Amino acid sequence: MTLLQSLKNLVRSRSIHVAYVDVGSCNGCDIEVLACLAPRYDIEQYGIFVHNNPREADVLLVIGAYTPGWEEKLEGLWEKIPDPKAAIAIGNCPISGCLFARPHTLVDPPVAKHIPIAAQVPGCPPRPTEILSAILSVAPTVFRDYEVRK
Amino acid sequence: MPLSLVYYAKEFFRREWAQKFFAAKTAPLETPPYFRNFPELTGKTCTHHLFCMMACPAPGAIDVIRTPEGWKPRIHLGHCIRCGLCVEACPNGVLSSGRVLESMFYDNTRLSFSFRIDVDRTKCMGCGNCAVACPVNKLIDAQMSHGGRASTDDLLLKVSEGKCQVLHVEKCTGCKTCEHHCPNEAIRVARLLEAVHAPEEDL
Ligand code: SF4
Ligand code: SF4
Ligand code: SF4
Ligand code: SF4
Repeated sequence: MTLLQSLKNLVRSRSIHVAYVDVGSCNGCDIEVLACLAPRYDIEQYGIFVHNNPREADVLLVIGAYTPGWEEKLEGLWEKIPDPKAAIAIGNCPISGCLFARPHTLVDPPVAKHIPIAAQVPGCPPRPTEILSAILSVAPTVFRDYEVRK
Repeated sequence: MPLSLVYYAKEFFRREWAQKFFAAKTAPLETPPYFRNFPELTGKTCTHHLFCMMACPAPGAIDVIRTPEGWKPRIHLGHCIRCGLCVEACPNGVLSSGRVLESMFYDNTRLSFSFRIDVDRTKCMGCGNCAVACPVNKLIDAQMSHGGRASTDDLLLKVSEGKCQVLHVEKCTGCKTCEHHCPNEAIRVARLLEAVHAPEEDL
């Protein structure tokens, strides 16, 4: 591996830009993602920045069970994120639909049907520490040697 | 003036300062011991009462499977909401999560189950699928014919006068088999869970 590549890997692992999208949740997971921004967790020390702008993002946090209003919109949002990128499903909702996966439900889980999901964080809602460690473990593996693998 | 620069340099070239500056970290984030995480097996023997499955509010979160070592509940991540009800419901303490078992012991509480069966008489067409499928009925009258008609009144459910009748709701175990077999969604089983203080001699 070239020196330049290892430098890129190092910098990428310390600079993770995050956007989150709520595709129909109960708001529980949104609150836990917000809690990650609190000084208690101090996410900047890990090099995580939340811009909530897909054009700048590396990691997309998907929250919620995919309600009909998100058809086509979520895919479009995913397309807007420049490569290399990774989507993480936060909570049970994007994994299984959680409590909303009942007969005659309108939601259409799992979100992995609609966009590629790199990691899942189960829990209803997951703890902020679980969300943080998911981002920190996914980002380096997805972004390492990106140019070489491409 | 030059002296103050020297002092500045002395301050900023200290090793501790540099370490703190480049590797600042908050205290490691640990999960507190009282956190109610996904239920874990305690190793006690499961007697296949299925109270955990009955109490569980999340679809597909728990099932009880047969293994070479006997019955074992299995928690499905991505479905389980970590409510801890299965831990509370189990009469044998097979599952454990956070401090649920401890606080049940100190508060001396139990979960009590009861069930309500509602038949929507406008939707019911008297096919009898529910009565034939019900495992409790099967124990009482194994011969019960297709159509759900039977002579005995000991049954939990039976069809008479073209509609499903609930005769002995107290025998219901809340398995919801009838609900899954009704073609019209006419029959509904509601599970009522109540936390009750156990009497002293129950301990
Ligand atoms: S996983 Fe639970 S807390 Fe999160 S959005 Fe779904 S229902 Fe709400
Ligand atoms: S903790 Fe709650 S959701 Fe999870 S398996 Fe037990 S009863 Fe079901
Ligand atoms: S829920 Fe009750 S009535 Fe229905 S099949 Fe089970 S035991 Fe029978
Ligand atoms: S409740 Fe449903 S399954 Fe039972 S007799 Fe009526 S229609 Fe048939």
